[in-house]
Amino acid sequence: MEPDLDSSSASGTFAGNDPSIDTNNDTSINTTNDTTNGTTNDTVAPFMELRSVSRSYGSGDAMVWALRDVSLSIMPGDFASIVGPSGSGKSTMLGLLGCLDVPTEGSILVEGDDVSSMADAARTRVRGRSIGFVFQQFHLIPHLDAVTNVETALLYRSLGPNERHSQALEALEMVGLGHRHDHRPVQLSGGEQQRVALARALVTGPRILLADEPTGALDSRNAEMVMEIFAGLRSQERAIVIVTHDPGVAASADRRISMRDGRIVSDERTRP
Amino acid sequence: MRTFRDLVGVAFTGLMARKMRTLLLLLGPVIGVAAIIAAVGLTDSAKGDLKQKVDELGTNLIEASASSSFGSAEPTLPEDAVERAYTVVSVEKVSAVRELSNITVTPYSEASEQFETVPIPVIATDADLPSVLEVDLVSGRWIDPFDENSLSRTAVVGSGLAREFEMLPGELRVIELSGIEYAVVGILGRVELEPGFDNAVFVPFGSAAEDFADVDPGEMLEANKLYVRSVEGRESETADALRAAVNLGGPQEITTEIKSEALELAAQSDRQLQLIVVSMGLLAIIVGGLGIANVMSISVIQRSAEIGIRRALGHTRRIIASQFLLEAMVVGVLGGILGVLVGMLAIFVGVSIAGWVFVMATWLAPAGIVLAVAISVLAGLYPAVRAARLEPLETLRLG
Repeated sequence: MEPDLDSSSASGTFAGNDPSIDTNNDTSINTTNDTTNGTTNDTVAPFMELRSVSRSYGSGDAMVWALRDVSLSIMPGDFASIVGPSGSGKSTMLGLLGCLDVPTEGSILVEGDDVSSMADAARTRVRGRSIGFVFQQFHLIPHLDAVTNVETALLYRSLGPNERHSQALEALEMVGLGHRHDHRPVQLSGGEQQRVALARALVTGPRILLADEPTGALDSRNAEMVMEIFAGLRSQERAIVIVTHDPGVAASADRRISMRDGRIVSDERTRP
Repeated sequence: MRTFRDLVGVAFTGLMARKMRTLLLLLGPVIGVAAIIAAVGLTDSAKGDLKQKVDELGTNLIEASASSSFGSAEPTLPEDAVERAYTVVSVEKVSAVRELSNITVTPYSEASEQFETVPIPVIATDADLPSVLEVDLVSGRWIDPFDENSLSRTAVVGSGLAREFEMLPGELRVIELSGIEYAVVGILGRVELEPGFDNAVFVPFGSAAEDFADVDPGEMLEANKLYVRSVEGRESETADALRAAVNLGGPQEITTEIKSEALELAAQSDRQLQLIVVSMGLLAIIVGGLGIANVMSISVIQRSAEIGIRRALGHTRRIIASQFLLEAMVVGVLGGILGVLVGMLAIFVGVSIAGWVFVMATWLAPAGIVLAVAISVLAGLYPAVRAARLEPLETLRLG
């Protein structure tokens, strides 16, 4: 398969190592930009690969398997949702996809590197390099204004303060919050906070944008807006993975991974 | 380097964002350092005027007096005492004097009856005495070698006596020493280490021998006292060496005295008091350190979500620990500097009220800041390790 970029991809570049983030219209769902690359191909390396991953908690009689023998590939251009009832292993899956946790069995490869055998510090660096997080509760640092929150993701990366500031401002512009860069989280609405969190996740140019119930704390209007931004972010340069139990959110994704009892029960593409 | 700069930035932003908490953190080191600085400074300043005097006068003036175990009425030093003194290598300057007795000093002949009963010391001296004592003349000049050789009847008076005799600076005056007129050529300034010189009359050896002593013509009047400046810091060994050097080959005996010793003793700070107050200051700073450890531990719990998100964003455990340690360090540096300033202010206020002289050892300020930083960093160690150990997965409450 030819590594063609999405047809409507535009110019917004930041974070140096990740060009081509769609900035042309961050408030409309672009359903046409993914049609040429809906299927995966063996010649394209996955951004992330779970190989027979199991995760248990506790030991002895109290041992519980939260995830059993799960294999999964996250491909470039993926806009996937992971759905399932509570207790299905979604959260465990999220921790593993985010390199916040290591599997009990099996291995996880991020851009070819096996993170399951890495020391904490190395795994932390992979996280900083390859993964952007968006949380249900936004998790902005309360005493920092919007732009400084975004800058937090760029710390300890040998960037000058000015460089860091301008990249963070650029990311805020992308989510339509450039004008509110000096507002603290308490001065922002839930939707705005989540957009700041999105800017923070994107500013480092991660391969995988990992969202945990990103609309769970938002009203429907703001939820819709955030999902439109997600949809607009589809690109061959990254994969978007949203963990949710909201069918509406799951429906806007191109790939739907259903989980139950620690296993993947279905993995289907809802859009080609 | 950039990582360090980023860390400092994060630490400052963190501290600035929670001003009240930062203020509480600062209190411990500030109070502790201020207490120690004030304690040492005030106990030093209490003796500040004496210390200052010791500094001004120097501690290296030695007096070597002739003494006699045989009880001779007027023991004297050997004729060549000055030359012998100079054989001691640590001797810098020597001056010889002879205290004369039974001389009536009167400002003018008609006043002899009024002054007969007032004993005014008359001292025969060489040309070097002011330079050894390091005292200037208030006016006029000192006795010079010409006076010595020409047997001129010149005299210099102490400033106290000059006042008593109502002499004006530069005024041409004559005083009578046992009826013999001497021309006053100068007035000597105050001699702190030898207060008796204030009311004394100084005359050259030559004319003193002629007029007041029964020595054969042509022979020198022997000195009975030497004033010696030694190399700074080698006073006591110089004094010992002097006794041996001057005594060589003669029956004369000699006692030495380091003139500033009594003054130095008086100028010493009350070490025990200092120790007590410094201990209290140390206690304050240790309690302050415990306060820092406590407040920061609570802060780690309160900021666990922040720590989790930072970890998720790729900040390593080491970075998280450094961030908290650096916050503690910044608190230590700021607290130390503030503590030094408050301590200095306390010394200044105390000195102004008590009328002392401000004394603060130069090592106090850096020592105070270093102590504050050390205590703060030590206190920050535990919270920093706790922060680094937090599992992002647990603090972020995913799913």
